[in-house]
Amino acid sequence: MTGLDLIFAVVGLITAAAAIKTVTSTNLVHAALFLAVTLAGIAGVFLVLSADFLALVQLVVYVGAVAVLFLFGLMLTRAPIGREALDSDHRGLALGVSGALFVLLSGLIIAAFGDVRVDTVGGPRTADIGLALFRDWVLPFEVLSMLLLAALVGAIVLSRREDGESGEVEDVTRILLADDPDLDGVDDADASADGAAGEVRA
Amino acid sequence: MTEPSLLIQSAWLIPALPLASAAAIAAFGRRLPWHGAEIGIGAILTSLLIAIAIAWETFTTVDPAPYEAAYAWSPLGGGFVLELGMLIDGLTAMMFLLVTLVSSMVQIYSREYMHGEKRFTYYYAMLSLFTFSMLFLVIANNTLQAVVGWELVGLCSFLLIGFYWEDKSNQDAANKAFLTTKFGDVGLIVGVIVLSAGMFGLTDTPFNFLQTIDAAVAGELSTATIVLGMLLIFVGCISKSGQMPLHVWLPDAMAGPTPVSALIHAATMVTAGVFLLARLFPVLAQSATVMAVIAVVGVITLFFGGLLALVQDDIKKILAYSTISQLGYMVAAIGVGGYTASVFHLFTHGFFKALLFLGAGSLIHAVHSNNISDMGGLRRFMPHTFWTFTIGSLALAGFPLTAGFFSKDEILVAGDLWAVNGFATGTAVYWVGLAAAFVTTFYMARAWFLIFMGEHRGAGHADAHGHDAHDDDARTRTTRTTHDAHDDHADHGAHHADPHESGRQITVPLMILAVLSIAVGLIGSPFAQEKPNFESWTSTTVIAETTYPFLAEYAAAGTGIAAAAAEPSAKILHGPPTWHLDLLLIVLVVFSSAVALAWRFYGRGLPAQDPMMRMGGLTRVLVAKYGFDSFGYRFIVVPVRDRMSAWATRISNDVIDGAVAGIGTTTMRLARTTYTVVDQRIIDGGVNGAAFSAAWWSARLRRIQSGDVQRYAGALVAGVILLVLAFVAVR
Amino acid sequence: MSLVGPLLLATLLFSVGVYGLIARRNAVLVLISVELMLNAVNINLVAFQNLLFPTDVSASGHMFALFIIGVAAAEVGVGLAIVFNLFRNRASVDVDRVDAMRW
Repeated sequence: MTGLDLIFAVVGLITAAAAIKTVTSTNLVHAALFLAVTLAGIAGVFLVLSADFLALVQLVVYVGAVAVLFLFGLMLTRAPIGREALDSDHRGLALGVSGALFVLLSGLIIAAFGDVRVDTVGGPRTADIGLALFRDWVLPFEVLSMLLLAALVGAIVLSRREDGESGEVEDVTRILLADDPDLDGVDDADASADGAAGEVRA
Repeated sequence: MTEPSLLIQSAWLIPALPLASAAAIAAFGRRLPWHGAEIGIGAILTSLLIAIAIAWETFTTVDPAPYEAAYAWSPLGGGFVLELGMLIDGLTAMMFLLVTLVSSMVQIYSREYMHGEKRFTYYYAMLSLFTFSMLFLVIANNTLQAVVGWELVGLCSFLLIGFYWEDKSNQDAANKAFLTTKFGDVGLIVGVIVLSAGMFGLTDTPFNFLQTIDAAVAGELSTATIVLGMLLIFVGCISKSGQMPLHVWLPDAMAGPTPVSALIHAATMVTAGVFLLARLFPVLAQSATVMAVIAVVGVITLFFGGLLALVQDDIKKILAYSTISQLGYMVAAIGVGGYTASVFHLFTHGFFKALLFLGAGSLIHAVHSNNISDMGGLRRFMPHTFWTFTIGSLALAGFPLTAGFFSKDEILVAGDLWAVNGFATGTAVYWVGLAAAFVTTFYMARAWFLIFMGEHRGAGHADAHGHDAHDDDARTRTTRTTHDAHDDHADHGAHHADPHESGRQITVPLMILAVLSIAVGLIGSPFAQEKPNFESWTSTTVIAETTYPFLAEYAAAGTGIAAAAAEPSAKILHGPPTWHLDLLLIVLVVFSSAVALAWRFYGRGLPAQDPMMRMGGLTRVLVAKYGFDSFGYRFIVVPVRDRMSAWATRISNDVIDGAVAGIGTTTMRLARTTYTVVDQRIIDGGVNGAAFSAAWWSARLRRIQSGDVQRYAGALVAGVILLVLAFVAVR
Repeated sequence: MSLVGPLLLATLLFSVGVYGLIARRNAVLVLISVELMLNAVNINLVAFQNLLFPTDVSASGHMFALFIIGVAAAEVGVGLAIVFNLFRNRASVDVDRVDAMRW
């Protein structure tokens, strides 16, 4: 047990605990914040593994952007709070499957790598990463940028209003009212369920 | 050649330009004054200029080394490199010249021919893409890239054959072409994999053409690899190059616009198979088996394909079957070691077949009918089309001093030399080739007399198809109101005045091609004894120095094939062409007798009953196209389409019943119970029982389909866990 | 340093992600769980690269991690857009009520 192992244990425990809270928390916003903690913890893990560039990317992209995006998502969809509202009735199935997966995978990992210990931890320098990215991987890189562009356009197209008034922010609260006469395309079952959900929100 | 010139290095522009033009036409062609035609024509003309320059450079450089450049990509790390590259040698340059020239002629021609079509822009984008696909296949320096080009060619041909997709029959034709060629593509792909598997370990780039050839010539590939790989690749060539029995798609491909037929038949599609065989010729030359199979298929196709043209009334179908026959010549030539002859025939055939198709388009344009029985006397109305079409017909029939004469003679000579080596296939190519030349001359003369001689049978009759006195099966089958007529003309086709000559954008490409149909023959003719000639152009060092290894083996084993490898004919190249006066005489006799026979039948216009329709059993066989189509329909289409589901049900029932019976034999008691169950089911009505059990099972099984994605996800992960457990347990 | 540590952490995060993917009802939380799974993979990639091949300058592991981050960003964008659309049409983002695709 070296010092590095110790630091890793601390960071890893925090990350693991936050991750578990992320999927078990009964408060939506808390879940998202725990996600941010988990992602920051993973950035810490990267640092411990001396992948400093990736750690920064992780912080900027995930903690900075993705987590905030999720918070926006939660706010905009106004989901209810509470265990019954947040968890579906698959909790038993989920627990069984993920538990089995964890046991199986960790068993395999320990069997395969249990005795691997390394003295030096070190990876490519940021300069190496840059060179590799723009020399060997430049084509995938450009393809990825096209993918991001396509995702951006797709996201905009998907979240636009149907009747196509661009530039206007959608008034999402209007449709929340179950008795709204403008509520098209929602069948009866959903409408009544919306009523119940509406009460919770109210 | 030490350092390749800048010109050769920029050969990639030739396929790149049509690709860019396809994209540009698709993007904003509609808004341009010529609706995109100017981009397509401009791009292909630029490509043509580069191709001419490269052809000139490779032609004048005696003994040029192939130039290869590739972008290497190694996705799996060491020992396995994929390439996107180009291989420029005389063969590539020749194909470049042929493809770009024919394509530019077709594109110029189409501007008038397709004028006013509602999908004009789409048509031009497709033409460009089609041309690009073929050029991409031609430029490839490895088999994998060639397969990509090959598939793109198939796709584009599908789109263009089905250009008038509003009509069900055209959709069917497109589907048929696509599925038939796709069948062969399976062979091609497996063949490529087999070859590359043999190359694996020898090199980092197992798909590379030159390395494959070198390895094969050096004997590093096992015989099994070569035989299996090349035969499978040949299956692809059979389907793509319209060899029997997968030729069935080619006549139906006439459903597309006529310029597209010209493109498909002359340059961009059917030549792909022959090109690939030529490219891999040193590999297949390692095996007598492969060459024999190729020769036999070619001989069968060149003769029987030609016979089919005798009974056709549709000018495009006549030309289609003649293409099948001429491709048979090329393939047969490959099979008897006539590498140069085959490639030369590919080259000359491209020009005169493009000429004939474009000429046929001009005729169809004028009379609004595909049928030669509706034409007649057109030489007076369409003088330019008349003389160009005549030159094309002469070239196809192999009249002396035309391009077709020199190339076809080379094939016959190659067959003769192969016969000297002791192979019966050589003899077959020689004599069957001569017989097929007679057939070719006869059907072209028949078409020529019926189209241009006699009296005009008039557009006014065009609407009366099917009521003519000489109506018969073949007529009604091949008669189809042409789509090639303009929309605005088609309506009053019956009142149309006398046919008139087509405009300059149609006749000028015809004239260019007519001149070339004579001129290109000279570079491979006995007039060009000195290098550079066609042989020195299209052969690389590998081909020039390779001999057939099996000849020596046969000679040593004393298997009756007498020739030894030391003989000059054991070399792949036959040396510069020489005059064969005996052959010239035979060809002249064949030609004149066939023309005389055609004159006897058709010289005075269309007889009351076409003699071709009065040959009794032979006519029936030919009209039925040897039954390939109906065989395919009955034994492939119908079973797949109509009976598959029924069979699937029956098989599943059989399997279930079989399993039950199997259990029954293990224990007597279980068997008795099972028996009664089965028995009762049969008594209750087997069909009802099967239906009931299906309903019972589906009622339960459909519960799994809950629509709940999370349950699916859980099942997915659980399945993965079980798989991993099973894997670990097996290990 | 031991290789098992990061790998076990990654396994745990992945399993937790699987749990969330199956157990969570809110679509946004399901997306969050997917993010956890993707990040678990990144830890694996980085751990293998930096512990087993510390001198490899081609940095394939880091490259893959970077690309996964990029793809994940795109996935979140499109995913949330779909969730918003769902919310607008059905006034709910519960995945177990989006079950029209069944028998």
